[in-house]
Amino acid sequence: MGKATTGLPGLLRRVKWEMDTFSWIQLLIVLVSFTAFLIIPLLSVIVRSFYSSGGFSLYWIQAILTDPFYFPLRLRLTEQFPFISLEGIKGSLYEVIRYQTARGEETIVYLMGWDMGVLVNSLLVATFTTLFSTLLGFALAFIFAKYRFPGSEILRIVTLVPLLSTPFVGAIGLKKMIVADGVLNVLFHDILGIIPFKIEITGLPAVVMVQTLLFYPIVMLNAYTALISIDPSLEEQAINMGASGFKLFRTVTLPLATPGVEAGALLVFILSLEDLGTPIVFKGTTAEKVLTFQIFNRIFTPAGLISQEATTLAMILLVISGLVFVAVRRYVSLKRYAMLGKGGIWRPRRKKLSIKTTILVYMFVFVVLFFATLPHIGVALLAFAKQWGPTLLPSSFTLDNFIAVFTDEEASRTIMNSIVYSSIATGFMIVLGVSAAYLVSRKKGLPGIETLDLLVTIPIAVPGIAVATGLFLTYLGTPLSPTISGAPLLIASYTIRKIPFTVRAVYSGLEQTDKELDEVAWTVGADRTRTFFGIVMPMILINVIAGGMLSFIYSMSEVSTGIVVGDANHRDAPMTWKMYDMLFHGLAGGTFQPAALGFMLMSLQFVFIVGANLLLRKRATALIGL
Amino acid sequence: MVSIRTEDLTKVFGEVVAVDHVNLEIKHGEFFTLLGPSGCGKTTFLRCIAGLELPEEGRIFFDDQDVTEVPPHLRNAGMVFQNYALWPHMSVFDNIAYGLKIRKVPKDEIERRVKEVLKLVKLEGLENRTPHQLSGGQQQRVALARALVINPKVLLFDEPLSNLDAKLRVEMRAELKKLQRDLGITAIYVTHDQEEAMSISDRIAVMNRGKIMQVGTPKEIYKNPRNEFVARFIGQGTFLEGEVIGSEKDLLKVRLKTNDKEILATSSHPSLDISQGDRVLVMIRPESFTLEPKEGYNMFDVQVYHISFLGDSQMIQAVAWDEEFIIELDPDVEVKVGDKLRVYSSPWHTLALKL
Repeated sequence: MGKATTGLPGLLRRVKWEMDTFSWIQLLIVLVSFTAFLIIPLLSVIVRSFYSSGGFSLYWIQAILTDPFYFPLRLRLTEQFPFISLEGIKGSLYEVIRYQTARGEETIVYLMGWDMGVLVNSLLVATFTTLFSTLLGFALAFIFAKYRFPGSEILRIVTLVPLLSTPFVGAIGLKKMIVADGVLNVLFHDILGIIPFKIEITGLPAVVMVQTLLFYPIVMLNAYTALISIDPSLEEQAINMGASGFKLFRTVTLPLATPGVEAGALLVFILSLEDLGTPIVFKGTTAEKVLTFQIFNRIFTPAGLISQEATTLAMILLVISGLVFVAVRRYVSLKRYAMLGKGGIWRPRRKKLSIKTTILVYMFVFVVLFFATLPHIGVALLAFAKQWGPTLLPSSFTLDNFIAVFTDEEASRTIMNSIVYSSIATGFMIVLGVSAAYLVSRKKGLPGIETLDLLVTIPIAVPGIAVATGLFLTYLGTPLSPTISGAPLLIASYTIRKIPFTVRAVYSGLEQTDKELDEVAWTVGADRTRTFFGIVMPMILINVIAGGMLSFIYSMSEVSTGIVVGDANHRDAPMTWKMYDMLFHGLAGGTFQPAALGFMLMSLQFVFIVGANLLLRKRATALIGL
Repeated sequence: MVSIRTEDLTKVFGEVVAVDHVNLEIKHGEFFTLLGPSGCGKTTFLRCIAGLELPEEGRIFFDDQDVTEVPPHLRNAGMVFQNYALWPHMSVFDNIAYGLKIRKVPKDEIERRVKEVLKLVKLEGLENRTPHQLSGGQQQRVALARALVINPKVLLFDEPLSNLDAKLRVEMRAELKKLQRDLGITAIYVTHDQEEAMSISDRIAVMNRGKIMQVGTPKEIYKNPRNEFVARFIGQGTFLEGEVIGSEKDLLKVRLKTNDKEILATSSHPSLDISQGDRVLVMIRPESFTLEPKEGYNMFDVQVYHISFLGDSQMIQAVAWDEEFIIELDPDVEVKVGDKLRVYSSPWHTLALKL
């Protein structure tokens, strides 16, 4: 026979068989878009970091590591403890300040945290956020997965509410709650008198708090899915063999749930690391001293060039996130996630609780809920507030903030911009996302398909500010330059950064559609292109719509590139930039108008996410959870 | 209508050789069945014919045209899948009409041909239903109609009846066979159900682990299995190991392993070259036993331990020297568990297979 079955000729024969013109087009548009707007930009960030005075150099890395502003810790070769010189650490964990007021002496405890330099700060914030989110998220997931009590289903859904918000929006609301004059102090100090002094959480601890409250649902969703996917008979087996209580939990339940929890936790670590919105809201404190903020602050030099320092910082951020992402992939591939999301075929067995434990559980859940909804309540109240002094609620309510936003020419223009960019980006995301998902789902086993899968899921783990830096580096001075028009890069960046939502929604749809339905169309004479449009697309239409909705709403609330590009070109800026601008430059309207914008964004997000989930029904449990 | 020929057809999935150098020739208008246990590669073979799999080695010919690398939509091979694979978002009419629309057939002709084929599969009046409003049997017919309406060169069936209940299955297979014969279309049918294969096929290929074990008419395969696999897979039988110690005219003299008893047997298949000293497996079909002694017949004394009364016959399970016997008897014969029975088998129906 002598047919080429192995080696390169065999491979080529197989590729030729599997890939028709249409598949090549699908593959090519995905590859070209990702190369142009993700790979080249990120590579230029890396390359530029090692570039100084005309050649390869470690100058910038050295400069950053020796600058106490970024890294003040010095190794001291003594046998004294601690072995690392801590002299560079500034500030203190907290400060107590006493004021004389008309009502007498008042004590305020400022919880501000140490400043250990930008690099360590970023890592510490991410570590603590991950730690707290994991504890909180896992505890809630365990309660809801294992126990049954009145209202547990509704409470479980309510605890996912923080997903309906970007940290940027949430931070605006929470800040009003945790400052010295804030709602929490008014409630617990002034009114209830439970706490004898006022507490202001600020700086890095505030960032950790905001992020924890907004990210714990990610761990919770993953842990919950993992826990209900555990075959109850595994646990029953262990009980039969004599394990019970904590031992059962430690030796059986926890190890089985660990991959899911770890994946969620690592995702939180990356999201915390790349969050730019929260530091911006808490500007003027140590919150500024994190990687994202510092990159953002110096990305554009006054001379209109990209700062090398910012580029190197972006590279460092990129490398850390990259390493964490590799760890995620090692534990749980994102695809397996989707499988976990389908849940088991068994009904999870839930224990009923005694009244005493039920009360304890309620108390825990309600405390979490109280704090978790604070940011949203804060934003909502701020959006409708006329004045809000040191009182529990605003002294009077008004629609003026919304009217101001809509009558302000710049603000309404940015809203329009956001809608236009996100819509166009959604179009691209659907075309590219459907193409990628189709190839990944239907061409399994073809070499390179795994890589394609990786490519379209990796944007979840790439810090937005690094993408923004890369886009600037690559396209400044070209026809796509943000100084000419902000639109092209914003649309490109939205498309690339938010495409995983479309891909995953469509992929799950394709996985639920038997491949035989495609094949039978081929046998009656439809080529692959016709089959794709005539048979496959109509069957997954709902998933496409839902995925598009998610991608659209997450594009609307995109912060990093929006702010950076917006700053370079105010005319074409999106609404997240306007919020930043109002907050950062303390324009008239204070926090009320950004809150109004944030409230609109949040409401829109609520409508879209609920809509998308209704469309996908049960299938979507893992969808909003990133 | 075509004849189909494969030469050394081989399909590999990773480490598994699903189809292993298969050479088959299926004639014009023949109803050809691939029969084998699940995982034997029969579905993969069918998918290669349909163009849904690219074989690693070998060629496929439709008449004299090499179609090995022709994509499925150009092969004009109608296929009926095990799960019917009806498009859930289309009506019955649209499901069936799809292949005609692809071929740009004029609208009124589509209408006419869909009507015709619906009549053929006895589904008149159900055009506007959606697949989930149909019963399993009706869905099956829609899938068949969809494959038929494009006037395919060959019809491919992948276990099409396995999801139907037993009674419907028997009805449908008769109908299928009649339809195929009336249309004179070449058909390849895949099943693991030997009864189904026997009742429907012109010829059967028994397949195991990617290889063809035997090709023949149902009768040949039943009466003259070529190897132990086919003998055991098709129908029931009593199996006794032994050694050939000589021959007597056309018959083989076999000494049984368990009790050194000598019996006379015939070579099961003409292609088998059995000679003195060969180890053989002797097979006797249940209906080849008789209670009446005849000259030259082999004689066995067995003890009954189980009786299945089947109405038109009774199936006796019995033992002798730790060997298991399956004997079909007339329903009127009085026999009960524990009885000692003397049975005879004709040497011409006592089949020897090479071990």
